[in-house]
Amino acid sequence: MHRPKRGKPDFIIFFAAVMLLVIGIVMVFSASSVVAYMDKGDTFFYLKRQFLWASIGVLAMIMAMNFEYYHLHRFADLIFLLALSLLVLVLFAGISSHGSSRWLGVGPLSFQPSEAIKIAIVIFMAKSLSGNQDKIHSFFRGVIPHIAVLMLACGLIVGQPDLGTAVAVAGTVYLMFAASGVKFSHLAMLAMAGLGLIATAIMIEPYRFKRFLAFLDPWADPMETGFQTIQSLLALGSGGLFGMGLGQSRQKFFYLPERHTDFIYAILGEELGFIGASLVLLLFVLILWRGFKVALTVKDKFGSLLAVGITCMIVLQMIINVAVVTGSMPVTGITLPLVSYGGSSLVFTLIGIGILLNISRYAADK
Amino acid sequence: MKTSDVSIKKRIAKLFILMVGVIFFLTMRVGYIQFVRGDELQKKALDNRLREVTIKSKRGTIYDRNLKELAVSISADSVLAFPPQIRKSDKEEEIAKKLAEILEMDEKDILRKITQNSSSVWIKRKIQDFEKGKKLKDLNLVGVEVIEDSQRFYPHDTLACHVLGFAGVDNQGLEGIEIVFDEDLKGVPGRIVIEHDAKERELPQAMHRYIPPENGNNLVLTIDETIQYIVERELDQLMASETDPESATIIVMEPKTFEILALGSRPAYDPNNYNEYPQKTWRNIAVSNSYEPGSTFKIITAAAALEENVIGEDEKFHDPGFIKVGSERIRCWAHVPHGVQTFEEAMQNSCNPALVTVGLKLKEKDRGLFYKYIRGFGFGKKTGVTLPGEADGLMILEEDLKDINIATIAIGQGIAVTPMQLISAVSASANGGRFMRPHLVKEVRDNENKLIKKFGNTEVRQVISEETSKELCSLLEKVVVDGTGLPGYIEGYRVAAKTGTAQKAGAGGYMQGRYVASFVGFAPANDPQLAILVVVDEPKGYPYYGGTVAGPIFKRIMEDSLHYLGVSKQSAGEVPSEIPGEPAPRKDVQVPAVDGMNLDDAKQKLYAAGLKSSVQGQGDMVLSQLPKTGATVKEGTEIILYTGGGGEEITIPNMSGKRIYEAVEILEALGLRLKTKGWGEAHRQIPEPGEKVKKGTEVEVWFQDNGE
Repeated sequence: MHRPKRGKPDFIIFFAAVMLLVIGIVMVFSASSVVAYMDKGDTFFYLKRQFLWASIGVLAMIMAMNFEYYHLHRFADLIFLLALSLLVLVLFAGISSHGSSRWLGVGPLSFQPSEAIKIAIVIFMAKSLSGNQDKIHSFFRGVIPHIAVLMLACGLIVGQPDLGTAVAVAGTVYLMFAASGVKFSHLAMLAMAGLGLIATAIMIEPYRFKRFLAFLDPWADPMETGFQTIQSLLALGSGGLFGMGLGQSRQKFFYLPERHTDFIYAILGEELGFIGASLVLLLFVLILWRGFKVALTVKDKFGSLLAVGITCMIVLQMIINVAVVTGSMPVTGITLPLVSYGGSSLVFTLIGIGILLNISRYAADK
Repeated sequence: MKTSDVSIKKRIAKLFILMVGVIFFLTMRVGYIQFVRGDELQKKALDNRLREVTIKSKRGTIYDRNLKELAVSISADSVLAFPPQIRKSDKEEEIAKKLAEILEMDEKDILRKITQNSSSVWIKRKIQDFEKGKKLKDLNLVGVEVIEDSQRFYPHDTLACHVLGFAGVDNQGLEGIEIVFDEDLKGVPGRIVIEHDAKERELPQAMHRYIPPENGNNLVLTIDETIQYIVERELDQLMASETDPESATIIVMEPKTFEILALGSRPAYDPNNYNEYPQKTWRNIAVSNSYEPGSTFKIITAAAALEENVIGEDEKFHDPGFIKVGSERIRCWAHVPHGVQTFEEAMQNSCNPALVTVGLKLKEKDRGLFYKYIRGFGFGKKTGVTLPGEADGLMILEEDLKDINIATIAIGQGIAVTPMQLISAVSASANGGRFMRPHLVKEVRDNENKLIKKFGNTEVRQVISEETSKELCSLLEKVVVDGTGLPGYIEGYRVAAKTGTAQKAGAGGYMQGRYVASFVGFAPANDPQLAILVVVDEPKGYPYYGGTVAGPIFKRIMEDSLHYLGVSKQSAGEVPSEIPGEPAPRKDVQVPAVDGMNLDDAKQKLYAAGLKSSVQGQGDMVLSQLPKTGATVKEGTEIILYTGGGGEEITIPNMSGKRIYEAVEILEALGLRLKTKGWGEAHRQIPEPGEKVKKGTEVEVWFQDNGE
């Protein structure tokens, strides 16, 4: 197969990702220092780990950036099967925390298979959707088999249980469906079916239903179910235009839960104001723009769909996270990619960015 | 292949627009939260983090009209603990032990309190002992603060308790003036506000705010401590006497201003320890009790009649002992009919048939007339005095008013009034017919003694004319000089007054042997300075008449108060044709030793000591005396001197058919004591008539039927 000459990676994506990473490290430190000191006796506890993982992630990104993405086409099935088997494993041998088991491994070496599946399924779907372009218009021969694979992965994730990640994965794959040319009528049907499934998942689990109600009116139960949303809004709302200043968050003093993970964007908004909060959104828009530009300019469909998938995976998680922080949707437990604390997420997201950068090296400049 | 590529590109472009749109929406959402709702959320977040410790304001002082303190706030230490700090110190047990030791409280209780899940907790409020507070301050325990708290103190204990009321542990007014003027008295509590984290620790660079408390304003009452004291003294004496009533109320008012100079009731309580008294003692019966006023209400009937000129110049009233109204028969209270009398004489006699006639004359002139005056004098409606729990009194609905009702209301039956209403009505009659709102508070002043509010006299209406008022005054003066009001007579002062004795109504009619004795009046009659109402509820034994039970009390308060106020004695005014036979005893005197003395010398010596004497026996040497030498008795008490010899045996007379006051006269003359049962005419007695007994023996007489 003829390959175009390898060029330079897209600088804007690289720049935006590194910016987000730096902002993330600073904010993780700011948001976590008090709790780290109180709980762990070490102000830098989370900073050190985040920095370590970011370094590993950047190394992985650089490696991925230099690894010809079309080799992934060959290993796509293998990668996906590996990620799936890790998901199965986590169901039986996972480390439990907060009532769900999402972790594999021991201590600092533990990681979340659900983070691996995000990138694995994007690679798998990119290969499968690009390879089955002739069948993509057919509902039964084209759409259903992919849905079956997706349902398998999502089912395993929901089993942890982690509905939020399942929704993010399904959303990403759905966007890839849309990009790959699945008929609008089929897309509409899938959307309805998906919403129905989510609604069912919410209704059958009392805690999810409470969260959903709390989203509709957080002030109805400010101390229990509405607590996170309210504290998040209080933090974000305190920011104003310029924020209270870096390190000056008040809500991080045990008021806002998950302050350096799920709700880091609220602390960021409190400390850096609208300027900081919208700058972060702008950086994601840059990734979205450049990622899609790569998808449009790369010559092969696999690369194109891979670029779309990775971009959507990152941006969609951001959208869900910011929507939760702003009280626009129920609390789901999705972190802010590249910014929130969390090793697995960081490493796999950076690998994704690396792949995207590698694809960009083959995108023909116009 | 090519078309497919194009379609993918189109799809990606659409997707891009969609996602940018969503991100744009989120940006707007962030902006909305940060700008539109920013201030609100920021404030909420701050409130969320602020922890407050309230610092009590000092409650204002309540003064009497001469700025003597009636209620003050004194400082007391309170102990406040901060559980998070204590938990952090890991010295919970030690701290609990020390606190328990000094405060003499249960150690476990304290430990539970200081480790509970709250930012602050009171360990003990208002420690009376300053030493304890000082000890705790010196110990300087972690997370324990000794805070100066204020405590209400009523320096005169029960004095004016029903006027003052009391304030609770949190300085909130709970009764009396304390509750009605709570807003003025309580002040604004101060606060210490500190910004805390969610685990109750102070934040670094926390916001500190100290808002000092604003102390409450002071009240200056219309009460005169001295007159109040006189009233309390009389009430105490009354309650301790043989009369031993269920309850009693006295109000002293200045008729010209309607300022209440004194108000006292029994049973009373000590507002310093109000919790130790039954709640019913907190009730201010002077405003919350409605009772049938009886003959005192004849003042209102007379006032209306005089104003409306329904009585002819020389009109005579005939009292055959009763009057028929429709099919009903209203008796006069006296056994002997009053016969033919002028209106003036009828008032002096408190003659029921005459006053009923007057009431009916008012009705004839205009049906609504009598009620117009009754309402005009403020009955049937709260007076608006600033005390809680005031009653309206009870009046038969005007549309249900029958002749018999008008007839009985004319003599004070079939209407219920509060003592406050009656004294106000009488004050209006004395005050040239001007009815005002009775009041207790003159001024509100701040801590620097600056005047904040002044409560003037609020004239409500002119009920009767100045002339009628004058006429009424002289009419009531004659009641004292020449009528039933005689016990209220004070030498040198022109007193106008009216007695009242009403049988208490209960379920199924009037209750035998239960009366409300009252006496109301004012002085001097030509220039009224004081109006006083004395109401005695259910006096025990005999006599129970308003004149005999309440009259002397009225007299003593009036005399002492006029004297205290420096109202000079008058030479003018009529003198009673007979000085009251037994002026009410006043001073306590010690009985001198007269046994062994010559009878005449003994009498002389007793007279010099302000005592009277009565002789038992025919001898001329005093063999013994009763009460014994050295006993403390009231001035004017009769000392019995035994001289030996015969004549000690007395034959019991037949009391059958006699009324109580007749029986009293007869038995008293014989030196026997009367114990009454019931009311009306005598029908049974023990011992039987004709039996020989010793002097001083008690004769028990049963009476029947209904009188006044």
